[in-house]
Amino acid sequence: MRRLRSRSGPCYSLDLQLSCNWFFPLLLLSATALPAAEAPYYVTYSAQMEEPGNLEVSFDQLAGGNFLSSILELEYGVKTWWTTEFYLDGQATGGQSALFTGWRIENRFRPWMGEHRINPVLYVEFEDINGAEKSLKEVVGHDVADDQLVPNDEARRDHQRELETKLILSSNVRGWDISANLIAEKNLAAEPWEFGYAFGASRPLAFAATPGPCTFCRENFSVGAEVFGGIGTWRQFGLPGTSHYLGPILAWQLPSGAQLMVSPAFGLNGNSHAFLLRFTVSYEIGQVFRRRS
Amino acid sequence: MKGALLLCALLATGNPYEGKPDAVRAGAKLYARHCAQCHGLDAGGSGRAPSLRSPAVQSASPEEMFHTLTNGRMSRGMPSWAHLPAERRWQIITYLRSLK
Repeated sequence: MRRLRSRSGPCYSLDLQLSCNWFFPLLLLSATALPAAEAPYYVTYSAQMEEPGNLEVSFDQLAGGNFLSSILELEYGVKTWWTTEFYLDGQATGGQSALFTGWRIENRFRPWMGEHRINPVLYVEFEDINGAEKSLKEVVGHDVADDQLVPNDEARRDHQRELETKLILSSNVRGWDISANLIAEKNLAAEPWEFGYAFGASRPLAFAATPGPCTFCRENFSVGAEVFGGIGTWRQFGLPGTSHYLGPILAWQLPSGAQLMVSPAFGLNGNSHAFLLRFTVSYEIGQVFRRRS
Repeated sequence: MKGALLLCALLATGNPYEGKPDAVRAGAKLYARHCAQCHGLDAGGSGRAPSLRSPAVQSASPEEMFHTLTNGRMSRGMPSWAHLPAERRWQIITYLRSLK
């Protein structure tokens, strides 16, 4: 969720969304599928990294109020300890327009080899977005639902370059993933550091796999919940004037290799959207840039 | 005394699926899903990862294999698989040990 922010970048109607909608299934058809096995969260990150050489393609949709936000994500495992990800963001608002709202590139680094009781991951992201961006990939500072009432024509002129950092702490406990993220975001032009948080817990419905192939068996489903929100800025740290969300998550791993995920999220105070609905389809392509042997 | 406690701990955490045919089949399914792209469909290895049929691997104890699977060998390119429930890691090991 973002306040009014400036941007002078390209904005055009549904062209980008349509090209994303075509690019994604075409890529899927030409790929070798692997299960997208990451912990099923939208906002929270776990310590799980993308496998080296694998590319995960995801298409996220977020419906809230009168808007629909879309993100195309390309996540690549560079090393076992380094994952990089590129995003293209867009949104459509009822009665206004559909537009491209910017891009982001993120890198996640896992500094400790091996598995520990708590696994830390360092996250660094650069964002080049405009004020019409409504993906809610994170909530920081004093982001509130009313920020998104600014009309697209006006909001898209607010251009913003931001640095976002996260400390990701994650544990695997008896089949459960438990993750906590502390978020610090900085507008590179002005404004103080803004802070946020995200917590998530999830587990597969069945821990052991069944002997044969199956589509609807419990092992293919994961359930969880996450809570996220802002905790103020460097100058005004604390909960007053912030927004917070809580949502359950259901993920389904299809035998084809695709993963579907759905999550209704509920605003926890008057500054939040009352209800959000997220949907994601993701697909992992094995060893995409490496020669097969 | 410490040795006896360690032995008890190892026995208590041994492979719960050892020798169970259903676990071998489940492990084969999980192997194909998670491991085959690097170690090969027949576990014979590839340019990216070693054979899991080698004597060095097959002579390892189930607990050693579980430790490797859980922690990975990140400096050598093998990721941690701790995000898989322990039951599924044991099923993979049961399958690998059936390749002897």
